Amino acid sequence: MVHEPFDEFELELKQALQRRPAPPSLKRKLLAQRAARTRSSATRNSFVLWQRLAASVVLIAAIGGGLVWRQHEQEQRKGEEARQQVLTALRITSHALDHAQTQLAAHDRESQNFHVGGPQN
Amino acid sequence: MAHEAQPDWQPDFEQLVDLHQSLVFSLALRMTGDRGLAEEIAQDVFLEMDKHLAKLESADHARFWLRRVTMSRSADALRRRRVRGTDLWVEIEEQHGMRIEEPSSPLGSRLEGLLATLPEPQRAALVLRYQEDLTPDEIAATLDAPVATVKSHLQRGLKLLRAKAASHLKEYVRGA
Repeated sequence: MVHEPFDEFELELKQALQRRPAPPSLKRKLLAQRAARTRSSATRNSFVLWQRLAASVVLIAAIGGGLVWRQHEQEQRKGEEARQQVLTALRITSHALDHAQTQLAAHDRESQNFHVGGPQN
Repeated sequence: MAHEAQPDWQPDFEQLVDLHQSLVFSLALRMTGDRGLAEEIAQDVFLEMDKHLAKLESADHARFWLRRVTMSRSADALRRRRVRGTDLWVEIEEQHGMRIEEPSSPLGSRLEGLLATLPEPQRAALVLRYQEDLTPDEIAATLDAPVATVKSHLQRGLKLLRAKAASHLKEYVRGA
């Protein structure tokens, strides 16, 4: 069996199954294919690099656009808040003026009554 | 199968091709029986090795990897041929092994031809045993098969080959 030393038949078989030399063209073809693959890999890498660059530009533009839009939104909100504050201030002022006018009118009426009727005593 | 890593070992593609092209080509040739196909398989195997060069840890690991991948690629090639309806070894059996050239001796040539007529698993085990001088354990690791299965293939393959040789050797003696 296989663990025992080879018998005559096995030795003949071993002799028959000696390694054969590879064709001389094998190494040449291999090196050519390897070089072609390296070139194609370099081209692919360059393409991938450009793809990444383009993706980066798009990403940066999107982020930049987002930031500008957000800033614009914030300014718009602040402007709206300021407008509301001004309107509130105007409403308060208007209310105060109305109040003052009402008091002045009441004061005028009292003064007229005093001069027309005069003191009774 | 464990291979001791060699920290100083630097795999060099061209050097590995020079060193192992005969191993890879002979395995593929004896498994497929077709020089052209064997050369294609050898090219595929070495180009695949180039991709995995960094993972090869030692000279032994590289040799083991090459044997394993060559056997696997040869089996794939034979499977593809069977699917396409061409059984190479049927042709070879009809031609009494004449497809494999450069015989070492008339008897060696006949034995090589007879080996070609064995079932694929037995042929694989015998080729690794007698061409590569591997032990059943090493063959099992190379083929990713249980050791008991490999031993059985070796035993049956050898028995079958002896029986065929006994028959064909008579012809050889008569023809001499």
